[in-house]
Amino acid sequence: MIKKTIIGLLAGFISGLFSSGGGMVLVPAFVYILKLNESDARVNSVFCILPMVITSAFFFYKNNYINWKVGMLCAIGGVVGGFIGAKILHKIPDKYLKLFFLFFLIYSAIRMII
Amino acid sequence: MKEIIIGFVSGIVTATGMGGGTILILCLGIFMNMNQHIAQATNLVFFIPTSIVAILYNIVKKKINFKICTPIIIFGIIGAIIGAKLSVNINAHSLRKYFGVFLLIIAGNEIYSLLKKYIFLNKNDNNNREKQTNKS
Repeated sequence: MIKKTIIGLLAGFISGLFSSGGGMVLVPAFVYILKLNESDARVNSVFCILPMVITSAFFFYKNNYINWKVGMLCAIGGVVGGFIGAKILHKIPDKYLKLFFLFFLIYSAIRMII
Repeated sequence: MKEIIIGFVSGIVTATGMGGGTILILCLGIFMNMNQHIAQATNLVFFIPTSIVAILYNIVKKKINFKICTPIIIFGIIGAIIGAKLSVNINAHSLRKYFGVFLLIIAGNEIYSLLKKYIFLNKNDNNNREKQTNKS
């Protein structure tokens, strides 16, 4: 129970602060601490994150930060991309995709900090 | 059109489970020149419809473990209230910097898991090869 409390609080905090990254906390926590398998960890993490996202959306909404038009357009692309991604992704080698993602991540992180 | 393409790419990344949200926020900041708070808030709008589809599918498939999820959700909401209150009170420039640090941590973790996977796989390969040479 203490483990679940800490995992929940931390994931919620990151999710609220950056509006993303809750999954980055939850998936490894589910796998390494609560011993779920990788695919169950992903499925359950999305389920747990949704209420956290709705909570933080309320605060961002109150401060007028939400751009509905861009959000909805992105969501349209997102649904299509998610569907296609899930269908075809196991055909592309995971390794190259991850490396590309990593370089992009490190490059933009440095750009943001400087 | 730009928005749909950004959403599309983030959707594909989401499907790989590498954090589509972080990519969306980054792209909105870089290609649409959005302020960090607005980019983050937009990601929330993006996440809700995309995730509901996945969640409904998994509830029907009985993949959700309510016993584990319920306490995490309760404390997660408390954490989210603290995080979000803090976030809206930080100025966009600092928030962007903290987000950058957070991205570096994620990148570090990815590198670690990638290395672990490779070293583990190589060891297995070597073991298999040894077994085969022993047999022959």
